[in-house]
Amino acid sequence: MSLWVDKHRPRDLMKLDFHKDQAIRLKNLVQQSDFPHLLVYGPSGAGKKTRIMCLLRELYGSGVERLRQETMTFTTPSNKKIEIMTVSSNYHIEVNPTDVGIHDRVVIMDLVKNVAQTHQIDSSGQREFKVVILNEVDDLTKDAQHALRRTMEKYVATCRLILIANSISRVIPAIRSRCLTIRIPAPTETEIASVLHLVCKKESINIPSDLAMRIARSADRNLRRALLMCEACKVQQYPLTADQKVPEPDWQIFIRDTASTILSEQSPKKLGEVRQKLYELIIHGVPPDMIFAGLLKELVKNCDMAMKCQVASHAARFEHRMRLGNKPIFHLEAFVAKFMAVYKKFMEESLGDAF
Amino acid sequence: MSSIQKVRKWCNFEFDENEPQKKNIKNPKQSENMLLEEKVAISKIEKSDYGHGTVNINDKNWMKTFDPVIVEDLAIHNKKIQEVEEWLKSCAGKNQSDILLMTGPVGSGKTITISILAAKHNIKVTEWITPLDIDMPSDYGDYEFKEKQSTKFLEFIIKAANFTSLLDNNDRKLVIVEDFPNTFIRTPSEFTDVLQQYKYRAKSPIVFICSETHSDTKNTALNLFTPSLKEQFHIHHIMFNSISTTGLKFALKRVSEIISKKHKAVYNVPTADMIDCVVNSSAGDVRSAVLNLHFACLKGSNMDLETSIVIEKETKSKTKKKKNSSKFLSLGKDQTVNILHGVGRVLNPKVAFTEKGKQLTHSPKDVIEQFLSQPSSFVNFLEENYLPHFSCSDHTDKAASALSDADFMLAEWREKMCQEYGLYTAVAGIMLANKAPISAWNPVRGPKNMKVQYPSPQELRLDVNYLYKGKVLVMDYQTYSKIIGCNSSELNNISIHL
Repeated sequence: MSLWVDKHRPRDLMKLDFHKDQAIRLKNLVQQSDFPHLLVYGPSGAGKKTRIMCLLRELYGSGVERLRQETMTFTTPSNKKIEIMTVSSNYHIEVNPTDVGIHDRVVIMDLVKNVAQTHQIDSSGQREFKVVILNEVDDLTKDAQHALRRTMEKYVATCRLILIANSISRVIPAIRSRCLTIRIPAPTETEIASVLHLVCKKESINIPSDLAMRIARSADRNLRRALLMCEACKVQQYPLTADQKVPEPDWQIFIRDTASTILSEQSPKKLGEVRQKLYELIIHGVPPDMIFAGLLKELVKNCDMAMKCQVASHAARFEHRMRLGNKPIFHLEAFVAKFMAVYKKFMEESLGDAF
Repeated sequence: MSSIQKVRKWCNFEFDENEPQKKNIKNPKQSENMLLEEKVAISKIEKSDYGHGTVNINDKNWMKTFDPVIVEDLAIHNKKIQEVEEWLKSCAGKNQSDILLMTGPVGSGKTITISILAAKHNIKVTEWITPLDIDMPSDYGDYEFKEKQSTKFLEFIIKAANFTSLLDNNDRKLVIVEDFPNTFIRTPSEFTDVLQQYKYRAKSPIVFICSETHSDTKNTALNLFTPSLKEQFHIHHIMFNSISTTGLKFALKRVSEIISKKHKAVYNVPTADMIDCVVNSSAGDVRSAVLNLHFACLKGSNMDLETSIVIEKETKSKTKKKKNSSKFLSLGKDQTVNILHGVGRVLNPKVAFTEKGKQLTHSPKDVIEQFLSQPSSFVNFLEENYLPHFSCSDHTDKAASALSDADFMLAEWREKMCQEYGLYTAVAGIMLANKAPISAWNPVRGPKNMKVQYPSPQELRLDVNYLYKGKVLVMDYQTYSKIIGCNSSELNNISIHL
């Protein structure tokens, strides 16, 4: 199945649709023989990976697009075998160290060492270094980040790291300073709409500009989601009309559902139901911070201004706790319990005023 | 080891003072009256051994004076004893290598049951004890060749099963293994090989005795004796429970009888109160109960100290918990609280009114003391189970906040105190937040396994080497690829039909 997102992904730095200035700079960076480690960050769906793939193509030619999948095994100091999937070409290797949870440090150290110790076979006409792409660097444990710092310095001669993160606030300063940080901002809604128009034109279908705007708005400035939405719209109903339904992601609907459960009744029993729903979300892989954001957004719709402040500050507190703690569910539940208490008090007071 | 064992077969060591007793029992007398006679005979022997009937604590085997000698002395439930006895009878004289596995908590009388029953049925028992194997370099600095532990083990058990000792002429034998060689815990497959060999070559039954522990990792019974292994070798499994209160009382009464008959010089005769204390504090462990009783009854210079502790504890606990009138005597062993029990104490806080005002029956400090070694798992249990006990959303808010704080503190593993503080925050937070608890029966559930399952690219019908994984697939692709995928496949079907 070839999705529009993949089919129409720009493969050359010069063909990118937005942030064109940055694209030129990136091209210049690569055209000089060498470049430093990169830390590419930005929100989801802004085009981080697209730009990196373009960059690699610029570096090594079309060979980087011949990908193969491999499972690598590592042994932890406690003799536990861990497996991790890697996607690699002849010139680069990409890995998601957070897949192995708390053992990410071992993966980073061994993987980078493995890659760095083997030189490029044919260095004439090619670059002298390989590239290691690490995903979700901001979710790495502190241990792994410190290991990364050391590794980065040691193997700088034979490999370059490209780190991908959503936000650099959780990347330790030592790594930040060793990398050239490149921020990829999310595209604006008009930019998304124009990309949608472009893609539709290539697919030779007609999209009403109202619909394009609506998709752009409901996609949260996430281009990938916007393109997927657009294709889903086309599958659901063609020809496209300006007022047709834009399908939302399942998890957003589920979060909204959870929020309405919270608002319907404030009791420990309801909290138990909410907890089951939160469990379900977490187990299916929705990141807890997105659940937090989604819940807050839905809940504050039913609050007055004073309460909004209060709820938002509680949410911020528990979200921070969640980052520092181990179990997201504890903090999500604490937030829901706090909201229930505040909301119940508010409802009782307003009822009291009415009489 | 085998060489040591050979020596053992040839001569009796002096410290093995059980030997005369055993010989006595081994006389083939079966009727009850005879046994009673025997008991008298034994006590006579004991008396002659100890001169004036006093226990010499310096004697290595002083504990043995209180060991049960006949089946009726056992504090274990009759049904269990019968079960073991039936097994023994069933495999007696068959010349077959039947295998029995006995599991149960520590001090539930597994070993003593089998040895007493073996004595009753005139069966010679040989036990494997894992030898020390420290590598000592020879004069030239190289290491001696040593046999593998498992080979030694196999050789020993087969020899013990097939060959009779020269000292006694009975031909019914039983091998006991309580002390498993380490190598089996590391590589369970070796154990399977050993069992296979044993089954094939040996001519006597073998008994494996495993103590159960709370943690799964150290549970030999679970790790070694997998269900498939049990099936393969037709292993009979008898599970022992911890000793009941009546059983404990019975055993202690017997001990106190022995004391009052023979050892008045060393011990004070224990009072009924004292026995109650010991029973309550031992949590079904008969061995530690006897030890505690021994400690509590000792005469001597520190006698006053002991009794004063007992009295103090008693008065304290009486004010604390009048209804159950249970008294905790913290002698040697702390009162054990398992995790479910602890969870119950936290979730149903009981408030007692004393002179100082309101007080919790179980103070948070006492509760956390029991779980300091595994703070996060205890907090997980609390989190999973606290909700049904709350009636008001204000209270849940406080409890949930406390749990959130606790998780934050427990995450700081570098600071040792944080673990304790985190646990305390959770326990005290929940106990104090619940002002109006619901008292209903709520089964305690284990914490959920929160392993995230990301969809695989194949599930979403994407290319295997796909650029994105994990979160991105869930957040963006899942919904839409379902819509796009199913519709396009429908379209394909239609086009095929056309």
